[in-house]
Amino acid sequence: MAKNNQSRQGQADSDPAEPKKKSSRSSSGVPWHPVWRWLISLLLILHLTAVFVAPWDLSTDPALPPGYVPPADAQGKPLPLPPRDSTVWQQPVVPRKLREFFRHYLNLAYLNHGYQFFAPDPAGSNLIRYHVYDSGGAEIAAGQFPDLDDQWPRLFYHRHMMLAAQTGDMGEESGRLYARHLMERHGGQSSRVEWVLHRLLSPQQVIDETPLDAESTYVVLAEIRETAGSTANPSVGELPVAIPGAGR
Amino acid sequence: MKRIVADIRSYLAEAWQAWNLFWFSPTDPATLCFLRVLAGAMLFYTHLVWSLDLQAFIGQKGWLPVDFIRGIQGHQWSVWSIFFYIEEPWQLWCVHIFSVLVFLFLMLGLFSRTSAIFGFLLAVSYAHRVSPGAYFGLDKINCMFALYLMLGPCGARYSLDRIWRLRRGDTSPVAPSTSANLAIRLIQLHLCIIYLFSGLAKLLGENWQAGSAVWWAVANYEYQSLSATWLASWPVLVGLATHITVFWELFYCCLVWNRHLRPIVLWIAVVVHLGIAMFMGMITFGLAMLFANLSFLQPATVRRWVDPLADRIALKLTG
Repeated sequence: MAKNNQSRQGQADSDPAEPKKKSSRSSSGVPWHPVWRWLISLLLILHLTAVFVAPWDLSTDPALPPGYVPPADAQGKPLPLPPRDSTVWQQPVVPRKLREFFRHYLNLAYLNHGYQFFAPDPAGSNLIRYHVYDSGGAEIAAGQFPDLDDQWPRLFYHRHMMLAAQTGDMGEESGRLYARHLMERHGGQSSRVEWVLHRLLSPQQVIDETPLDAESTYVVLAEIRETAGSTANPSVGELPVAIPGAGR
Repeated sequence: MKRIVADIRSYLAEAWQAWNLFWFSPTDPATLCFLRVLAGAMLFYTHLVWSLDLQAFIGQKGWLPVDFIRGIQGHQWSVWSIFFYIEEPWQLWCVHIFSVLVFLFLMLGLFSRTSAIFGFLLAVSYAHRVSPGAYFGLDKINCMFALYLMLGPCGARYSLDRIWRLRRGDTSPVAPSTSANLAIRLIQLHLCIIYLFSGLAKLLGENWQAGSAVWWAVANYEYQSLSATWLASWPVLVGLATHITVFWELFYCCLVWNRHLRPIVLWIAVVVHLGIAMFMGMITFGLAMLFANLSFLQPATVRRWVDPLADRIALKLTG
């Protein structure tokens, strides 16, 4: 920084024609040929633009025009807003187009994601509770993930936590797949999987000595029953919750 | 008019000079090599842990079968993974053992450049197999390191490659390297982008605005590794921690380049990420972010800290 300021000062005091000489002299300390440097500079700009564009696009949302009046039925009751891909919504055109342009590059280098660590708000955790039964209906396995007693070391536990958390992003199908996997793993004929939200306690609740794992803090969002060969659909209780730490 | 043209030319020449100094000045590869050791260790450990249930997480069927994941990923050709094509468990284990060895070699600095290239390909392969599913921030940072370690002479110091050269009698000093500077600059700028968008995303959160988000993070029972619920009685402390986190993330990309403010910015990183590691059980992620912050250390500082230990190890191995 200081070096740059010095050179700026020096150039300001000198003849306008001089920078060319100064530039070539300063470049002599840089080992690569100017053509290489131009080429690599271009690649650097493209790469950094791509790195910037992925989280930028993922952090933008379409918006309704100011003063937009939502549709209503004959009685004046508000109707659902139009789908987000309809023309009413203003799309963030620049980040969308840039991300589309860089899409394959971002994919190839595993850069096509955001960095929303614990954002926009920290949320409760998701858990998967399961029971596996044999052909006679007797329970042959039960458990949950994540589970500190069962999954060690911590990173292994955390992988299971993400598996449960990202159920919200992947939708109902993932719950069925977990149920099938557990059935196959334990050699069962049917399984029941509960997708559970563990709600957070406020500071006052903790001061009032409510334990963080109080039974009342667990809410079943959906229950999935799977039998070998069947494809029963789950009943989803609430909307998917945010994934703490996962980002988009 | 001539004066304006001359001023613009002067400005452009000066900017080009600054750009060249920033990107293309040769630098001692000590910082990059130190990051290779740390990131290599993290990659090694991260992937070793998959061994505990490899088939279920990475195999063709498992928790989330490859077909399902490919469907969510939109069957794009550029979302690639070697694990999309491996059917047999024995093949899966062969690739996995090879991968773990590659990451071990990268950490130790054995065939460093080759290990770095294979390391990147393999790290992305694992990450795409578990995205979505079991991925989280750690995979993003691991892949970032793997990408940039490929670009520079990451095995020039603190490596078995270096010790091997010494044993053969090659005692020539490690030369400053332009590609080492490029790799470090890219890690630094990538980190700035990460913090900027993490901060911007937090701005949208009501709890981050209200100054209560840190409470909701530490009150999460599943994340908790060391209880910090005593913060319930200290709302001002929670508020300060929340607001400092947001402002620090937002302005990291500007403040870290100032040499007077850099130590403060980096010490806040230490507190934030060690806090995440200790209280929220994300030791690996917290450490990986700290490693990325170490990219701002001067090579001379790294050498002052690491060389004594590295020299002792080299002396033992070379006799």
